[in-house]
Amino acid sequence: MPAYGPGPETNGGRQRGILAATFLILALSTSYLPASVQQRIAWSMRVTILVPFLATQDRLTGAQLNARDVGDLMRQLDSMTALSSTRAVLVEENRDLRELLGLADRAEPSFLPATVLRPGTQGSERFFFVDVGRAHGIYEGAPVVTQDGLVGKILDVREEISSGMDWTHPDFSASAMLQDGSMFGLVENRRGDFREVDRLVFDGTAYNEEALPGTVVLTSGFGGVYPQGIPIGVVDEVEGTQGRWRKSYYLRAMVQPGAVRHVLVTRRPAEADVSALWLADSLQAMEPASGEGRIP
Amino acid sequence: MRTEGRVWVLCVGLALAHLLLHVGLAIGRAAPDLLTVALLLGAREMGMGRAAGLGLFFGLLEDALGVLSFGANSVAMTVVGALGAVTRDLFVGDSLFFLVSYFVIGKWTRDLVHWVMVGESLRAPFAEQVVVQGLMGGLYAALVGVLLLGITGIGKRAQV
Repeated sequence: MPAYGPGPETNGGRQRGILAATFLILALSTSYLPASVQQRIAWSMRVTILVPFLATQDRLTGAQLNARDVGDLMRQLDSMTALSSTRAVLVEENRDLRELLGLADRAEPSFLPATVLRPGTQGSERFFFVDVGRAHGIYEGAPVVTQDGLVGKILDVREEISSGMDWTHPDFSASAMLQDGSMFGLVENRRGDFREVDRLVFDGTAYNEEALPGTVVLTSGFGGVYPQGIPIGVVDEVEGTQGRWRKSYYLRAMVQPGAVRHVLVTRRPAEADVSALWLADSLQAMEPASGEGRIP
Repeated sequence: MRTEGRVWVLCVGLALAHLLLHVGLAIGRAAPDLLTVALLLGAREMGMGRAAGLGLFFGLLEDALGVLSFGANSVAMTVVGALGAVTRDLFVGDSLFFLVSYFVIGKWTRDLVHWVMVGESLRAPFAEQVVVQGLMGGLYAALVGVLLLGITGIGKRAQV
């Protein structure tokens, strides 16, 4: 380590101590600043010093996706070539049905595709950026979803970029119901001893009713944050009971936030019920064999 | 170049490398905490005030990427910067044992203060974040820090 000269003079030492104490008070005060001021400080750094690094991640993610897409496309091309003759009728029928339902027309104005950027630093594990903002109609509290289900929601919106939290955040909660609407409750995050075992819990359900394992749990639309019908998870097992009046279930989450690279962000005007967007694709495969979500 | 100048260049270089690895390339925990290493290196060369200021700046950089516990990194890095500079007056040494201890304790202190400041609702269990990850991160930081000192020769000046 460095050489040491003569001991510090008393005045110099005191000045350094006062300066250090000032910086420490400043650092402590940042924790207690109003959220809007904290956001302003954070954004001022993101749009100046951190811009090249965030842009690098954006480009890298894009490049990785492109590279992966090439491989996927080659495989799909091989499969499609073999199947195209037999699928032609189904594809045409599917297209007709989609047009009939107006699915594409309904989904397109409500959701906007976006790329997820992860800060990757300590304390930001439950936090992400998306490359869309107020200019695209994104609003604070907008649900963030994938083709599999709910990822989280937007917390802060700027002109061209927004930040949000995923469901692993302790403050995450969503009003939820079984797919058939037979049971209602609240889905919350339940911390495990280690981050890898964070789980979702479907809480506040009636004690005398039982949700079958494998039943899909959707957002119920109550509370106004998430529109009705976004898949959150599937019932896994009973988490616990409270007295003889309340029961809660562990869910297997539809989306693992750490693996998400592309999302859809809701934009205004948000739909009140979006269940039709998922029912046709992912949910049918996850329905329980009985087709009934609960046992009275 | 004077030692102080070399240390500043090293601090800036490490900070940029940290942001590139953690933010740009999104490597996460596989990459060492070079920001803390830079701060600990710098703190031995500058006074307590400037080290605390550098810590505050580094902490704000990290806080800007995670608004949910804004200020936790700032406090942690400021404390580490100030304490790192204090060790200059308290401990004289450049032995391998001292350097490894300095980096391990420095990084562990940073994680401990961050864990305290981040708030009960957001922090991971003590055993996971402070005991396991803090000590492993400290050893990782020590490895990188000692290697950097060896390569740059900053720590050799006292022996001349």
